[in-house]
Amino acid sequence: MKAAPFEHICPTSLAEAVALAGEAGARVFAGGQSLGPMLNLRLAQPRLLVQVNRLPELAGVAADADAVTIGACVTHSAIADGAIPDIGHGLLSRVAETIAYRPVRNRGTIGGSLCHADPAADWVTVLMALDASVRLQGPDGARSLRMKDFIQGAFRTALRPGEILRAIRVPRLPASARWGYEKACRKPGDFAHAMAAVFLSPGRCRAVIGALGGKPVILEDDAMSPIGATRALEDIGELDQARLRMQLVVLDRALAKARA
Amino acid sequence: MSRVTLTVNGETVTADVPPRMHLADFLREERLLTGTHLGCEHGVCGACTLLLDGAPARSCIAFTVACDGADVRTIEGLEDDPVVGRLRAAFTKAHALQCGYCTPGMLVTARDIVQRLPGADEARIRLELAGNLCRCTGYAGIVRAIRCVLSQGLPIAPDKPVPLPTLPSMADEGPSGQLPAAQPPDITQALRLAVPAASVWRALRDPYLVAECIPGARLTEAAGDRLRGEVRSSLGPIETLFRGEARVSFDDADRQAEIVGEGHDSRTGTRLSARAAVRLKELDVENTEAMVTIDYTLRGPLTQFARGAVVREFSTEIATSFVANLQARLSGGIVPAQRSVRVGTLMLRALWRRLRALLRLG
Repeated sequence: MKAAPFEHICPTSLAEAVALAGEAGARVFAGGQSLGPMLNLRLAQPRLLVQVNRLPELAGVAADADAVTIGACVTHSAIADGAIPDIGHGLLSRVAETIAYRPVRNRGTIGGSLCHADPAADWVTVLMALDASVRLQGPDGARSLRMKDFIQGAFRTALRPGEILRAIRVPRLPASARWGYEKACRKPGDFAHAMAAVFLSPGRCRAVIGALGGKPVILEDDAMSPIGATRALEDIGELDQARLRMQLVVLDRALAKARA
Repeated sequence: MSRVTLTVNGETVTADVPPRMHLADFLREERLLTGTHLGCEHGVCGACTLLLDGAPARSCIAFTVACDGADVRTIEGLEDDPVVGRLRAAFTKAHALQCGYCTPGMLVTARDIVQRLPGADEARIRLELAGNLCRCTGYAGIVRAIRCVLSQGLPIAPDKPVPLPTLPSMADEGPSGQLPAAQPPDITQALRLAVPAASVWRALRDPYLVAECIPGARLTEAAGDRLRGEVRSSLGPIETLFRGEARVSFDDADRQAEIVGEGHDSRTGTRLSARAAVRLKELDVENTEAMVTIDYTLRGPLTQFARGAVVREFSTEIATSFVANLQARLSGGIVPAQRSVRVGTLMLRALWRRLRALLRLG
């Protein structure tokens, strides 16, 4: 199918983009690798697309001793190819490499993926496990949110009208930290049916289960057992037995990778 | 129309295009470069893969306006490319094509594998080919052809990755805002109302009142056990308007109701069939529990994104907000019906919320 008619503007400054993004019927558009299919299928019919992936304010990377800050419009391919400093274990690069397909990674952006907030998106789950935070720029100024507060459900975020995700700050892994990530897809690059990211460090353990119906489930410390996971997934009451089992297997594999 | 300037196979091209025109249509319809093939048109099949600023990209989900200033190279522009030359010969020799529909996209992806992953083994080649569908060859010949070219070494130097710029400082943008952002409620299908069961049941029997309590719902007709209405909803970028009709039935003795309906969203071409059942249970004089069950089937493009768990989450959420609205309405002392239609509503609203769920689902 062909997309329904829309208007398109490519603003040249972040301030202009914020003003346009606040207009009725506007949708922010970066690489378009998730929104593009929805437009073609006419599931999304915005009045206006505001293209942000050429804004210098959203491009590039900065790093300090504690964290790496990634511009929202850095592509998955750039991350996979090691164009950003490593936070440890080559983690971000290895995750990026498993997202969709190379031609999609070449256009798709880390910020676009987070704002689209598909529950099956890799970054939604992984960056929550890493306790990353997002830097937002809106008409009333800037603010930061932790990933767990930013992602509110399936395709829903805490973005307010006119707010644009500018960058993602990802803490560096402590030297002692261990890490595992696993997902189950019908074929490589397909939407995941189950997903788990595990972060282990002395004094802090966290597992995040994604590809659910809504926001990912976070299990911390003592809750990070198969029983804790089962209870948490049963609590959200959305999984049948097969899917529950799948999630537990994937979690187990992610744990095994972290402990290996 | 928007004016764009592109470099297409080395030639500078300026054109006025409608913003919704994707790059593959622009190349095929305006430039008559029909070597770029269209299969799925939503980024899955890989037939339309070409080089955009030197890197493989899906031209069916790249809008032409979004590519202003880009360097586009289609299969026609790769005729003299040394890697593609070797691949063409190897594809021929290894029977790497039959109908040829996937071949232009395959060659672009194969070129990328040869350039970027000179040490790729068979498993890696197959992994990289996951985004290009071929229905003829079973990929065996394609993999053989790529391995053959890899074994010949690189005819040209690989592209160097472009370093990223330094992210501009964000220090100057005012104070960091407070968080809030309400957490979505924890939802189950057993919903509790601080209202006597008899009042809830009376309310549920008024379809107009029920519809009012469903976010985005509007009842257009209620006659006997038949209802007509619509539900407007959105989920992220997806907006839907489902119109449909439903039939309701009530069991006054057990305070059970059921609604079975069909809805259609003409914009997205999505169809929904749903059945919702509700049963009231008196917890005590002042409190009632509503057990809601919903089954549904979705058909059409929305199912690409509407994975089961997502639908479930949204439907329970709508049920929750319905109950909250109903509670507010009932405890405000405003009881049923300006229009005295005796039709079941809970079901309706369940249907609605289902529809809604559906909608938001997208």
